[in-house]
Amino acid sequence: MRIIKLKKDNLFPFLEIISEEADLWAPVKKGDKHAFTIIDDLSKIELETTRTIIPPKKIFTPPTFSMFSISDKGYKEDFSHITKKILFGIHPCDIHGLLTLDSFFKQAYLDPYYLEARKNTLILGLSCWPDEYCFAKSTHTHVIEEGFDLFFTDLKDFFLVWIGSSQGDDLIRLKPELFDEGLKDQDIQTYINWQAERDNAYKWNIKFIALPDLMELKYRDPLWEKLGDACLACGSCSNVCPTCNCYNIMDKQFLGGKDGKIIRHWDACTLEEYSEVAGGENFRKKRSDRLKLWYTHKLQAYISKYGKPSCVGCGRCIATCPVDINVRTVGQALLGEKPDAFWARFNKEVTK
Amino acid sequence: MTKNNNNKLKIGIYELTGCAGDALLILDCEKELVDIFQAADIQSFLMAKSDNIDGELDIALVEGSVSTEKEKKEILDIRKRAKTVVAIGICACFGGIQAAFLDEKEWEANFKEVYGNIKMKHTKPVQSKPIDEYIKVDYYLPGCPIDKEQFLSTLNRILRGNPPELYRFSVCVECKWNENDCLLNKDIPCLGPITRAGCGSICINHNLPCVGCWGPVEEANIASEFQLLREKGFDHDFIKKKMANFSGTGMADFFGKLKGEKG
Repeated sequence: MRIIKLKKDNLFPFLEIISEEADLWAPVKKGDKHAFTIIDDLSKIELETTRTIIPPKKIFTPPTFSMFSISDKGYKEDFSHITKKILFGIHPCDIHGLLTLDSFFKQAYLDPYYLEARKNTLILGLSCWPDEYCFAKSTHTHVIEEGFDLFFTDLKDFFLVWIGSSQGDDLIRLKPELFDEGLKDQDIQTYINWQAERDNAYKWNIKFIALPDLMELKYRDPLWEKLGDACLACGSCSNVCPTCNCYNIMDKQFLGGKDGKIIRHWDACTLEEYSEVAGGENFRKKRSDRLKLWYTHKLQAYISKYGKPSCVGCGRCIATCPVDINVRTVGQALLGEKPDAFWARFNKEVTK
Repeated sequence: MTKNNNNKLKIGIYELTGCAGDALLILDCEKELVDIFQAADIQSFLMAKSDNIDGELDIALVEGSVSTEKEKKEILDIRKRAKTVVAIGICACFGGIQAAFLDEKEWEANFKEVYGNIKMKHTKPVQSKPIDEYIKVDYYLPGCPIDKEQFLSTLNRILRGNPPELYRFSVCVECKWNENDCLLNKDIPCLGPITRAGCGSICINHNLPCVGCWGPVEEANIASEFQLLREKGFDHDFIKKKMANFSGTGMADFFGKLKGEKG
């Protein structure tokens, strides 16, 4: 893989040029957090962010979109939400998230919406620095070797730019004079030092290797009932997870026999309706059963199939769940620790 | 369902105690009004027309809660005449603001405080309750007011003999779709987790906490939300009042003080 250098001052001129090729998406401020947004003003791009509120999966399968338009003549696939995009500022853990989504959406039945959006989006990764919620080092998703067209490592005075694909190379060729081919020994040393420092900045670690066995051994542990009692069933853990990909489909037909649409929206196995079948039967009526499924999927089942957890260590569930049910606290509890978590304090009699 | 001469289903739109916001929303479907009147035979709609007929109906859409003896009779009559009854809006579904009490005694004391010993000539007031306290309700379309798109799709589905297809999860789901930062995590008392979705998380989109105006979601975990707010420093009464504000009767079911099952 070719690695070149970009002066800090040259980043925005480069983004300006490539934004003429496709819609540029990047993280911008949203309240005191960040969100990926289409960029009309480069100065709004935030370079030093942690996680966005929801992961970049929203760019490939929006929370709700129309799959088909229907009329009395039949139906027509609707790809209108898919446009040519360049996604800048995506971190290694989120690129791993997309690679995991690829494995889901490329199984027996190819998902045309996801794959078409994937094909039309260039990935321009950006290095990051962990905060108190990040644990990507535990899932080994803090480094990235594939899944990007360009990857920018921010070394304060300059970027090192990995060229990951020919399409990425084409972007560089739009204005090659912005880049510097010759790396000095000093630049390489700066990168080595940065990498070591970044790796040391992860504040905590979770032993994922132990979790598949523990999920099995503790499948009937009272822990799950406790979690189920406290769970708000708000579905936020799934919505903010970079690898959750379930969806539901709804008909939207207009009055008077007019046309309609088939709408696809994000769904979550942590929601009650998800496992309801015809006749109103529900295989996972209890929240504890649903949480068990979620964690089995993240910490056990995916590992047996693909050799890695379907958790990428982004920390979104930790930052989001109001009642502290997240990969960190559940992992700790499975490992026999007593995490200081809401659900551990929860008392059902509180309303009296 | 039987059809009238014009092959259209007969519909009646009724308003009990409430702000008439749901009826107004139906009238406000300006672009779709012609479609509505073409798709159905609107027999009775007090806000929209004067030649109302109170006969047999295929579908009755009822807004508002029952808060007088007269309305009790009215709702029983509507049930008798209509094959399908749909509760529309928070007041009809869960009682609304006028039902923001948790037990009978509290209501009587409040009534006396506001009206004194005045004799009501017109009709006798009773504690405000959702319509399913008196009749069987076939479908619920909550909202304060109801959402236009949900109303049109629900009406369309019912006209075709299908049950409504509404979101059955909490506001939090739509809130995350809109990529809002969780207000509870900022110690703001938001009722999103226990409130039905459908509003598009409109308040939180504007940085205001959810007040629960769509009523409790089926699986509302009241106890967990309660403890969460307690831990954030809000007192017991504040939380209870906040939760009961829009759907006292509905919430009372959860608090176990009133009987009655919700569909």
